Amino acid sequence: MADQSDVWLVVPVYNEAQVIADVVRNALQTFPNIVCVDDGSRDGSADAIRGTGAHLVQHPVNLGQGAAIQTGVEYAREQPGAEYFVTFDADGQHQVADVVRMLDRLRAEPVDIIVGTRFKGDDSHIPLIKRVVLKTVVAVSPKLRKLKLSDAHNGLRVFNKKVADELRITLNGMGHASQIVDMISQRGWRVTEEQVEILYTEYSMSKGQSLINGVNILFDSALKTGSRR
Amino acid sequence: MLIQFLLIAAVIVLLVFFLKNHGTTKTAAGVKIGFLLFLVLAVVAVIRPVEVSKVAELVGVGRGTDLLLYALVVAFGFQTINTYLRFKELELRYARLARAIALRNAEAPEPPQDAPVVEAVERVEDPAHTS
Repeated sequence: MADQSDVWLVVPVYNEAQVIADVVRNALQTFPNIVCVDDGSRDGSADAIRGTGAHLVQHPVNLGQGAAIQTGVEYAREQPGAEYFVTFDADGQHQVADVVRMLDRLRAEPVDIIVGTRFKGDDSHIPLIKRVVLKTVVAVSPKLRKLKLSDAHNGLRVFNKKVADELRITLNGMGHASQIVDMISQRGWRVTEEQVEILYTEYSMSKGQSLINGVNILFDSALKTGSRR
Repeated sequence: MLIQFLLIAAVIVLLVFFLKNHGTTKTAAGVKIGFLLFLVLAVVAVIRPVEVSKVAELVGVGRGTDLLLYALVVAFGFQTINTYLRFKELELRYARLARAIALRNAEAPEPPQDAPVVEAVERVEDPAHTS
């Protein structure tokens, strides 16, 4: 297996004590460097992370997933030898094999960031409502069509040091996915996407963002000009 | 009616103005001047309600009180946006503060059991790095 010591996995964690240790141990078999950002969990997620061999950064208060990703990336990019970065969900939805494949592409191809997509192959395993909503988002967004991205809200992303250094997520909540898309188009990062598999377990379904939260995301994105500086 | 045009125009102008210039000194000064004007107008409205009614008639509203109500609605909407934007900005600063604290207190994984016990120092290099 290729040496992955220049890769850092950034895992935002919020109340995932049940599964986080297993997810991290499993990923550690392939990736030696993992930083878990505990986003003010109240269920002992931090204790579950301690002892797994992952680095632990704890937000003193709950800030939101966007903020946790930014924190994790800021931690990881300061580590010696860090060249490639991965955002990886804590609930076990993402597959290590997908990450390895994306990293191989990132090392070989002239791209800065690779985003996971659920919609390149067979997507019948995705819950119907989710499929319809996610596809609508893409259909109404000219930016996504221009960048040829089919799944903006996929949490699995792999990117290089340039992107990590320039990444500045200011939307603390779930709006960060669209903000990353904005940054891709504004800063001219070379982007492509890769088919990934998302495991919809009962656990991840109960934890995943509800569709009604899409309203919040839209609102935040529409008004984010206010927090620009 | 003229009033409809005026009210809608006011809302749009305020919204665009705020989203564009939010947080600058110029905007802050503008808000203060607006507030002063508002106070002066309030005094005028109290002392000479007839004048307000005249203005109201001029723009196509029945009474002076109605005009005040409409103006208040616009001012309230404007205030709401202002507060929302301010909260967003505060949230961002708060996040940066929390992030700084989090990064200072980062915990690197413990070294393997057989290695000599070293006190956990922040940002020690991952043992896997050196292997």
